[in-house]
Amino acid sequence: MSAPEADDPSRSTRPNARSGNTFAGDAWVNFKRWNLKAVRNPFVLVVSLVQPIIFLVLFTEVFGNVAGSAVNQGLPGISYETYLVPAIAIQVALAAAITSGVGLVNDIENGMFEKVLVTPMSRTAVFVGKTAAEVFRIAVQIAIILGLGVLLGADIVTGVAGAAGIVAVGILFSLWFVAFSNAVAIITRDQESTIISANLLQFPLLFLSSAFLPLEALPGWIQAFARVNPVTYGVDAARSLMVDQDVMTVIEVSWFGGTLDGVAPGVAVLIGIDLALGAVAVTLLSRASSSDVK
Amino acid sequence: MPTPDQAGPTDRSREGGSGESGGTDAAASASAIDVDGLELTYADGTVAVHGIDMTVPEGEFFGFLGPNGAGKTTTIKVFATLLSPTDGTVRINGFDVQSDSRKVRESIGYMAQETSIDPELTATENIRFACEAYGVPRDARSERVDELLDLVDLADVADKRAEEFSGGMKKRLDAATALVHRPPLVFLDEPTTGLDPKARNRLWEYFRRINDLGTTIFLTTQYLEEADQLCDRLAVILDGDIVADGSPSELKREVGGEVLDVELEGGSAVSERAATIAREFDAFADASVAETDEGISVTAETAREHGTDLLVALRDAEITVTGFNIRAPTLDDVFLAITGEELDVDDAEGAQ
Repeated sequence: MSAPEADDPSRSTRPNARSGNTFAGDAWVNFKRWNLKAVRNPFVLVVSLVQPIIFLVLFTEVFGNVAGSAVNQGLPGISYETYLVPAIAIQVALAAAITSGVGLVNDIENGMFEKVLVTPMSRTAVFVGKTAAEVFRIAVQIAIILGLGVLLGADIVTGVAGAAGIVAVGILFSLWFVAFSNAVAIITRDQESTIISANLLQFPLLFLSSAFLPLEALPGWIQAFARVNPVTYGVDAARSLMVDQDVMTVIEVSWFGGTLDGVAPGVAVLIGIDLALGAVAVTLLSRASSSDVK
Repeated sequence: MPTPDQAGPTDRSREGGSGESGGTDAAASASAIDVDGLELTYADGTVAVHGIDMTVPEGEFFGFLGPNGAGKTTTIKVFATLLSPTDGTVRINGFDVQSDSRKVRESIGYMAQETSIDPELTATENIRFACEAYGVPRDARSERVDELLDLVDLADVADKRAEEFSGGMKKRLDAATALVHRPPLVFLDEPTTGLDPKARNRLWEYFRRINDLGTTIFLTTQYLEEADQLCDRLAVILDGDIVADGSPSELKREVGGEVLDVELEGGSAVSERAATIAREFDAFADASVAETDEGISVTAETAREHGTDLLVALRDAEITVTGFNIRAPTLDDVFLAITGEELDVDDAEGAQ
């Protein structure tokens, strides 16, 4: 029971006693909350890993022999496991990014969105903290996939530094889809719609790209789509790091000579897409959280 | 908490609140809520609030009463900085809601109409998150969490996830999270709607306790009984306008006397005849008479003194009186007197 006398002294000092009012402090508070929710709900964590793992195992076992020879025409001596793992890393980033929008819809539905808006926290910091938690989770999941890939016989030619690079490319790739799923979440304000619309995109994006087979082995119309598909840029950049060669299929550059020629254009394109979709999501978010009457 | 330089501009002449605080210094007389000509029009042209003025002094338990759709939630959302006023000024704890919204947010607690808690987190974690969000100093947090869990009687389920809680428990947890920073002013938007009487009475008790500790409370409700039980002062809002304000007893006095309910035998024709007799009854010059399901209801200054005379007159007119009761007016009568219509409350639980 709180006694009145316990209340009074702090009441007078309260407005100055606020300690967490820095931008970083506010972001950290939200980072912790979303990580706690992720740990609390390991189902989400596991489910977004299961499908990519199934893909990794099934594709290497079922298509490994056939696809391996197609791969070896362009990249002699590279096993299908090694070829596939960067694509699965990108798939994980894609699948995990969907949960960002789902989390936002849940917050809107259970009132936490509005509750956070009436706190004095910086609204930008609130979303930075949430996104940071999701990016952190995606990094962990990609690391798990890389470890599993190595166990299954894949070879990360560039070693630990390359693995870190692949995680970084995966994060860069995930951001545009994080932005996309948040935009869908604000527009639909409905959990099912957000999951379905993001999931619907997942398979066309993956299959109509350089993820599973070299582009030259695919029909012309797929090659045409793959050129404008962000997945191609993410996969090619990650794959260049995996095999330590320039395997970027769409944009040819020779600024650095070697592996970085495969990584840099992909990274540049991803940053561009991230900024474009990020701007859309930020606009929608600030409209949703503004106090202007609607 | 208003700073001295903000006390000046808020010190406008206004009928409410200025009476009691006349003798105190400027800072102490500052109001928790000061509204001047608030208007809010939604983008589709719906006018939710039509220029209201009100002042709520510090420490008051203020009730904002009205039926569904009257503009209660819109108004409270403007006060909590969730909506920007279309016109007019609103100062909360001395801060303007538009230009100083962050200072307003620091100095208020807000409990939305829909229970707002994170179901995946435990009770403790919910309160702790609120502590961090409102910047409660690190070394005070554990104590604050325990204190609030105690206040809302959730200490024994502190580490259970909120999704397992009953509706009343969730509401209490929600209330606790609105109090972490010990705000001098708390907004409660229909906090007891949908709760059973027991859970509701329990919440009332917490609100009274918080108010006793000096917190100003602004409560919206559609339950007259709730406003009557809890509030020092009330405003009645209808279609975006404040149609009455005052203490519950002042409002009841406005009804104009006491109420004599008379139960009659026979149908509406009898009631109609009885109503005519009551209206023409000399002793009740100022009476207002309404026909009810059971008979008639007469409100008059002299209802107590001359009630029996009316009963005699009814008997003389060969109308059978099966029961009668003289009572002080309730807020239901107030609402009826102000608006000319019954307050439409779907209260299975409101009747207790």
